[in-house]
Amino acid sequence: MSHRQSRRSFLKNAALGTTILAVAPSLPLSTRPAEAAKLSLNNVHVEAAQRAKELANGKPVTLTILQPSGSLGNIKPVAEQWKAATGIDIQYVEVPLDQINQKVLLEAVSKSGSFDIALPASFGIPDLVTSGILVNLDELAEKYEPEGYQKDYLYTIANYYKGSLYGYETDGDAYVMFYLKDWLNDPEENKKFADKHGYKLKVPDTWEELDATIAFFHRPEQGRYGGALYRTQYFIAWEWWVRFHAKGHYPFDDNLKPQINNEAGVEALEELIATSKFLYPGARSNGLFENFEAFAQGDKFTNIGWGGTQKFLNSSKSKVRGKLAFGPMPGGLVNGELVKTPYFNWGWNYVVSSVSKQPEIAYLFTLYACSPALSTIAVRDADGYFDPFRKVHYSDPKIIENYSAPFLAVHEAAMRDSIPDLYLRGQGEYFDVLRVNLQAADVGEKKPKEALDEVASKWDTITRRMGKQSQIVQWRFLKSNYPEGIRNRLV
Amino acid sequence: MLNLAGPVQSSVLTPLEASGRLRGLIPFNVAIALPAQLTVLGVVLVPTVIVVWLSLTDWQPTQGISWYEAEPVWFWNYYDLFHDPRFVAAVLRTLVVVVVCMAVEFMLAMGLALLFLDEWPWRKLAVSIIILPMMVVPVDAANAFFMLFNDRGPINYLISTIVGRPFEFAWLADPNWALLPIMLAEIWQWTPLMFLLVLTGMMNLPENQIRAAYVLGASRTRIFLRIMLPLLTPVIVIALLVRSIETFKIFDPVYILTRGGPGAATETISMFMYNGAFVYFRMGYIAAAALLILVLVAAICTALSRPLQRYQR
Amino acid sequence: MRLLKRSAVCLAVVIAFFPIFWLVSTSFKPIEEWQQFPPVWISSRPTLQNYRIVLAPDAARAFAERQNGAISYKVSGSAWKAFGDSALIACGATLLSVLFGTMAAYSIVRFRTGGDSYPFQFLTVRMFPPIAVVVPMVVLFSMLRLSDSYAGLIVAYTAFTLPFSIWMIRSFIEEVPEELEGAARIYGTPPLAAFLKVTFPLIQGGVLATALFVFILNWSEFLFALTLTTGHVVTVTLQVANYVSASSGKLYGVQAAMGTISTLPVILFGYLIQRHLVRGLSFGAIKR
Repeated sequence: MSHRQSRRSFLKNAALGTTILAVAPSLPLSTRPAEAAKLSLNNVHVEAAQRAKELANGKPVTLTILQPSGSLGNIKPVAEQWKAATGIDIQYVEVPLDQINQKVLLEAVSKSGSFDIALPASFGIPDLVTSGILVNLDELAEKYEPEGYQKDYLYTIANYYKGSLYGYETDGDAYVMFYLKDWLNDPEENKKFADKHGYKLKVPDTWEELDATIAFFHRPEQGRYGGALYRTQYFIAWEWWVRFHAKGHYPFDDNLKPQINNEAGVEALEELIATSKFLYPGARSNGLFENFEAFAQGDKFTNIGWGGTQKFLNSSKSKVRGKLAFGPMPGGLVNGELVKTPYFNWGWNYVVSSVSKQPEIAYLFTLYACSPALSTIAVRDADGYFDPFRKVHYSDPKIIENYSAPFLAVHEAAMRDSIPDLYLRGQGEYFDVLRVNLQAADVGEKKPKEALDEVASKWDTITRRMGKQSQIVQWRFLKSNYPEGIRNRLV
Repeated sequence: MLNLAGPVQSSVLTPLEASGRLRGLIPFNVAIALPAQLTVLGVVLVPTVIVVWLSLTDWQPTQGISWYEAEPVWFWNYYDLFHDPRFVAAVLRTLVVVVVCMAVEFMLAMGLALLFLDEWPWRKLAVSIIILPMMVVPVDAANAFFMLFNDRGPINYLISTIVGRPFEFAWLADPNWALLPIMLAEIWQWTPLMFLLVLTGMMNLPENQIRAAYVLGASRTRIFLRIMLPLLTPVIVIALLVRSIETFKIFDPVYILTRGGPGAATETISMFMYNGAFVYFRMGYIAAAALLILVLVAAICTALSRPLQRYQR
Repeated sequence: MRLLKRSAVCLAVVIAFFPIFWLVSTSFKPIEEWQQFPPVWISSRPTLQNYRIVLAPDAARAFAERQNGAISYKVSGSAWKAFGDSALIACGATLLSVLFGTMAAYSIVRFRTGGDSYPFQFLTVRMFPPIAVVVPMVVLFSMLRLSDSYAGLIVAYTAFTLPFSIWMIRSFIEEVPEELEGAARIYGTPPLAAFLKVTFPLIQGGVLATALFVFILNWSEFLFALTLTTGHVVTVTLQVANYVSASSGKLYGVQAAMGTISTLPVILFGYLIQRHLVRGLSFGAIKR
């Protein structure tokens, strides 16, 4: 991620420059406190633990982590090693998955000090930043973060808000497509498909190809369904988001005027609705785990999901274990060129609470937990949420065993080039309006153009309430962080 | 509304009781009622004052400022509320839920009470089991209903056996039908209460009138309609009133079963306010909604307090 | 006709019992049976693993390692903390509520404090949707440093159960003629002592019933616990939602086990005060 490097170097040089200018009169150039305290990349976990121990200075310190229920498997092994290395105890406070962002935001109001570190979902970070509950980690990163620490991180867009660091990503929630290999490779099907469409059956590169393939395989009378894609609110919005970007547009223009209701947006929605007919009957009502089980039956051609999906599909409970082909998010043809837009639509970030009494030690823990060595330990646990997010994870044998090598290859490529979610203040409100209207269009209550126009006008209201100028600053920053290969192809 | 100091001067204080004055500062009877009064004041009145202020602002924690620093938007919140289809829908939906639940609970309770009026073997045991639903933690009852209405759960299975073909309807994901499991959970849990109240009322009815009418040849239906019902009216009114107030506040089943979803299809007024305040964190806006509801409730209570007092005496 | 009546009663009993039966039955089912179709009514392979996870997580983990297919769930917060927190808050709030309630009820009945409409003002508290009060309470508690604390929840619960305490105890006191106290006062006993020596022993049963009733309300409370805590204080109603796993979603069996255990005290107390339930839930208006 060279742009990440250059930005950091730029900031670092700027900071150094000002430090030198400020400090120069009183200190000789040979003493530069900022440089001396930095940790080394190879041993960052050892050194971070060491520093934390020094800071604790023999006093009994406890760090409390607010975590989503079900993630303990990812955190506990790390915490136990931390305790052994530093003597600092870790306490866990669990809240249900769908409440954790709210609880962190509630803490901004109540300031009760009930946690030092939290694991909110990445898309909620802007709201948390503006509420003041997150510590701006720029200074601490300046002090401790080693050179190249974020280098083999495949996705770091969520770590930053308006140029400052607020937390380290600790999950690899890039969207991936799943296909039944046997159906794809069946020679008879290949012939029929080629005759009909003029190109061979393959892992689809574009949404048009995917839609055509799904329609082709949909034979309910034979007990075979085109796809196990979701048509519930959250997932509809995610699928539409990728389809829209694949047509070559950003959701807003540079002045935060919504573009989602342009021709491309309406087309994307119409195509999504058209494909709904070729999905399995549970598409409109099934949640995450029902979908896993349904797809694992082996009678639906394609599914969409994350690493967690694959952990289930690769387990002994699944009938399709070893029978899957994987593909990235389909893209689209933009000005004749194929643009693929993988999507990172959840994620968890380690953040430090601004009410914490020991922010520096808390930061060191997050540095420790996201270090190459310890994060690999965290991701290894199959019964947790964290999917691989550092290059080094993809060569760990246990992780390969959990996910299977072909999956990891596709996952890694997707992570590298993922477009972010809408990291703006009020993300929940923006997306909620989008979700409700997309679903209304999908079930036929509204016409696609009508639905998207409504979303656009509501988005304008929300932007006004959030403060347009402030949002524009973050939007432009976010745009500049879209993956290099995609950034310049979207308008 | 809460006038502690008012009628105290004119309340009944015999000379003997006057000797109990607390250093002549606060009358004794007021002093011992103070803890309760203050607790209620603290938890109800002070928040109401805060709500009034908040409702005039569009405060959101994500603005990064404290609540007292928020910029007033004066009455725009109320304007937005009245034009917010989601709020209006929530109010109407809650009224529908209250009316439907009340009607069903009442009829079931009356019917059951009539069945249990006479003595018969196992009656006591049956009563004990019938009042069991009232004594389950509402959250756990809601979880039980969540499992029951699963698309592959027992309810669908029973329907399949009755209808004769597979029935895998996703109750909680359907915008039109998701309200049904919620209402059923509420009705299941609280009909026993209505049943108990009505039964107690029926058992307290003067036997002589009823026996006399029976001896004189009146049919059972006539006895029921002409004698029992009118005499039961106070009990019925109280039961309906108490239950409709509690049903108006319904939250636990809605939260556990659907969170107000899909979309906002099952949002009751409590769920609307919860979502607005704790999911979107639009606290100023929801404070305006809260104030509207508080005013509504207070108005109803004041209007009803006179007739209620009559029933009491 | 008789048959119709009998079958109606039977139907009512079955409907009343069925969801509870399902809850308890599910709590003994192994994970494969939670969402099996056709539904499993009573498990043929009952397991205690769900209860182990709730009550003894370490034993659960050990069991899961030995037994193939049993859920091995990594628990962080023990349910015992939830039981303890709920017990502490419920007991504290009940104590305060009954204490303040008795005092206020005595004042209202014997002195007609506040006039005839005063008791109805307390009733108004009960009519407010709690959610309307929660939003400012979050703000208020944050200023008073009561957020996510036992004291905060205790105060909130006390306030909202005071109407029940006051009305119920009021109806008990009203049943004791004032003359009894008057007789004691003739001998110069101060009014409060007269109350405590004469009336209170007579209404002891009623006060206890009120206490149990209020305890039930506090133990089952959900909304305040949900919104006024940020994870440090956990009640039994909140703990249920924590039983989710990354690989299986909602752990129905474990949630059912937690639900069964947390409902037991309520059922127990409910049956103990069965006679007084009517009085309590009708705010003392309807008496046996």
